[in-house]
Amino acid sequence: MKSPELLAAIATGDLSARQACDAALARIEATDGRVNAFTDRTASRARAEADAIDARRSRGEALPSLAGLPYAVKNLFDIEGVVTLAGSKINRELPPAREDAVLVQRLRAAGAVLVGALNMDEYAYGFSTENTHYGPTRNPHDLTRISGGSSGGSGAAVAALQAPMTLGSDTNGSIRVPSSLCGVWGLKPTFGRLSRRGSYPFVHSIDHLGPLADSVDTLALSYDAMQGPDALDPGCHAVRAQPAAAQTRRGAQGLRIGVLGGYFNELATPAAREVVAVAARALGARDEVIWPDAAMARAAAFLITASEGGSLHLDDLRKRPQDFEPLSVDRFISGLLQPADWVIRAQRFRRVYRDKVNALFARWDVLLCAATPVSAPEIGSEWLEINGQRHPSRPAMGLLTQPISFAGCPVAVAPMWPSSTSGMPIGVQLIAAPWNEHLALRAAHTLEKVGVAGLKKGAL
Amino acid sequence: MQAPIDVLPYVKAAAQLIGLTLDDARAQAVSEHFARTVAIATVLEGAPLAPHDELAEIYRPAPFPAEDPQ
Repeated sequence: MKSPELLAAIATGDLSARQACDAALARIEATDGRVNAFTDRTASRARAEADAIDARRSRGEALPSLAGLPYAVKNLFDIEGVVTLAGSKINRELPPAREDAVLVQRLRAAGAVLVGALNMDEYAYGFSTENTHYGPTRNPHDLTRISGGSSGGSGAAVAALQAPMTLGSDTNGSIRVPSSLCGVWGLKPTFGRLSRRGSYPFVHSIDHLGPLADSVDTLALSYDAMQGPDALDPGCHAVRAQPAAAQTRRGAQGLRIGVLGGYFNELATPAAREVVAVAARALGARDEVIWPDAAMARAAAFLITASEGGSLHLDDLRKRPQDFEPLSVDRFISGLLQPADWVIRAQRFRRVYRDKVNALFARWDVLLCAATPVSAPEIGSEWLEINGQRHPSRPAMGLLTQPISFAGCPVAVAPMWPSSTSGMPIGVQLIAAPWNEHLALRAAHTLEKVGVAGLKKGAL
Repeated sequence: MQAPIDVLPYVKAAAQLIGLTLDDARAQAVSEHFARTVAIATVLEGAPLAPHDELAEIYRPAPFPAEDPQ
């Protein structure tokens, strides 16, 4: 049962929230030994939250929008009573969180039921969730392959049908890459849309939070439930909620939709181009559009990420580098050593770049490109080939996402299924202008409705 | 991959300056990453920035007031 039907069944009383919760917990128990999406399970809390929903229904109260929906969060979100690992060994020494992250509080208020915390790349610096401390999260469609990252547990949990909705974070692609590689819906909102308070930071000036889900409706409902201003998060620029779910169901009719060429076509393999072409046909998009300065934007995002990310952990890098993830510790240190000019130049470029990107959206409502150049590589892959060029495998996963998040644009990812990848998915990014999530979600709704995008049952 | 000859001394000196102790193996590994970063930074060298192009804003001293002064 997909989550819209699940929510409807709970709303009518055909299914209790407790039954939905127990089914999710049982599915996690049955499958997670193979997937390794979860680092903590919150079964007691989940049952209490589910029972509270059922008690409200028995009293005849109106239920909130996500009543009884099981969900899980990347383990960089604070959960009251749970240590916020952020994928690290070092954070195990921290005390348990004293309260939930703001987005977890808002989902609880909307009736969602928290079943656990999810694996990720250490401190979110990675695209593969090959976490040495907690083990790799495996792709539910092929357990020998990566789930993507850094929100790999969040993508895998939805794809493995362990939870119909999860939360992730996205600095350079960390919601969109696992959405693409695991074949689930994802939404990276506008930079500054959702509060980040109570989440462990990676790069303050680029970090975003957002949902992944098994349907566009649930993606949009979850997103709406998390909206609202937060004066205590200096990075939250939203002054009011702008609900999108109702608009989403209008679909893509009337939208001006283009297809990104140039950089985004050159760095996409034939399989990735195939799904973009399928999405474009379904949405009636014919025109090729050139995104401004994509390669420079990726470079600038890389430099700021390395510098800010490294700076955040300088003290531990001085004292205990051996306790860091071996796959990323050298990158953190390298980032700390960058000349100031590189980072300042990157921040100055970002302002000019923003103006060029925003100008582009005067002519377009939604722009399409692949979310990853390839489908999921095997765990342990060091190199991959994209159109004859050899790339280091892990950073290459973010080639197509980094320029977009650097501009702060909202992006929905549609899970699609090329004909040449042995059943492995590649997502398509549906990109809108800042503060226009509803347009990306409208295009996503059409792709789901006409049947070219959506989840497929995994190998479990 | 062998790091460019001029990267390794920079990595060692800069690391020492901020209190990072790197053994030879770590210094070599960091240098390989740093050499890739040099190539990436070169891409951004091509960005045409004028003197008046400011940083993307991060710091704000206070929220803009909702009402104008009376």
